[in-house]
Amino acid sequence: MKTKVLVLVSAFVLSGCVTARVEEQRSSSTGIRTEEALVILGRASYNDRETEVSFTDCLADALSSGDAPVTLVDQDEFKDSLYPWFEPRTAPASSDELADLFQQPGVAEQIQQSNIRYLAWIDGDTITVDRGGSFSCTISTFGGGCFGMTYWEEDASYEASIWDLESLTTAGAISADANGTSYLAGLVVPVPILARPGNAACKALATQLRSFLTDA
Amino acid sequence: MKNLVVFSLLATLVFTGALTGCTTTVSVEGSIPTPLVRKIPANVGIYYDETFKTFQHTEALEAEGTWKIPLGDKNLMFFRNLMASLFDSVIELPNPQPGAEVAANIDAVIIPQIEKYGFLTPGLSGLKFFSASIHYRITMVDMAGNELADWTVVGYGKSEGGAFGGDSALGNATMLAIRDGGARISIGLTDQPEVAKWVERQGETDNEN
Repeated sequence: MKTKVLVLVSAFVLSGCVTARVEEQRSSSTGIRTEEALVILGRASYNDRETEVSFTDCLADALSSGDAPVTLVDQDEFKDSLYPWFEPRTAPASSDELADLFQQPGVAEQIQQSNIRYLAWIDGDTITVDRGGSFSCTISTFGGGCFGMTYWEEDASYEASIWDLESLTTAGAISADANGTSYLAGLVVPVPILARPGNAACKALATQLRSFLTDA
Repeated sequence: MKNLVVFSLLATLVFTGALTGCTTTVSVEGSIPTPLVRKIPANVGIYYDETFKTFQHTEALEAEGTWKIPLGDKNLMFFRNLMASLFDSVIELPNPQPGAEVAANIDAVIIPQIEKYGFLTPGLSGLKFFSASIHYRITMVDMAGNELADWTVVGYGKSEGGAFGGDSALGNATMLAIRDGGARISIGLTDQPEVAKWVERQGETDNEN
């Protein structure tokens, strides 16, 4: 019993505080049958930012598990099967361009064959907006230890744009923002108190996306 | 105590030397997708020179040691699959000027070359990505010796990399650069003015109608 309480208290103490906000904008009614699938694609561009693969993986894991799992098509398989049309510099930027893409030979057939009903483009990233403090570790033949305290504040901001591949329109968009500050305190041993805004944004976005797709 | 100080100094020097003097060989891995594009109704000969087939980039960075990126094998596999998907038939030529017998059975000769490869590590760029670029030069001539294309295509790729696993991140970025270059070639080849006219002559217009 004591061990359980200790684990719970440790988990609470070592987890930083994260605040998350989700907004949804719906353009048309949705609904997904069990045989239909969703593909999640991270937007990549050649500037200094890119949606992390770890975020789209987290989203895929969250959506494909739970009480009402959504059938997912792996993003690498999807890109390979439709190469060269979903590479970073060739992918359609809007649902209007998607309609043009469907005119290319084999594209519509390939998507129908995979039973993909929705495509969710994930755009955004997690950035460090503030950091401070001082922290150092020393090791010598007489022993060692860490002293000081440092913190960093991270802001995770993501948006999912959902395209209906049956009607070739934008079904809606969901945005998730999360903010949290992590701390690393040195009390001989380093004690991390980690906030995970990226993870919080992932969970919030997955919950809302599941609801968006299944609610008509 | 004096011995301890000398030992510590020596250990530091050896450790620093090992870090800066090490060579990282990057493995370029990834799938080779078949382009989903309309085939050009033509038979072509492709000449891959030895540099293209065995291309390797080696660069020594002051703070990060030497990086060795042997991308020739994967790039060649990618191009073989790419070209086979773009044309009705493809034969590989042993030299850029085919003999009369081979020339009678092909409509054009294509020579892809790698002109330049470059990469950036997070240590150099200050970003959290490894990035790579490949400058390809695509030369294409018809069997009358007319130049159809002399086209430079730049493929870009970038991949997240942490403090460790930089070799796999750079390998991934390089693979993405090959894919990007291949995508540009498969979509843009027929947009080259002389190639477009040549395709028209090959009966592309009939197919589109």
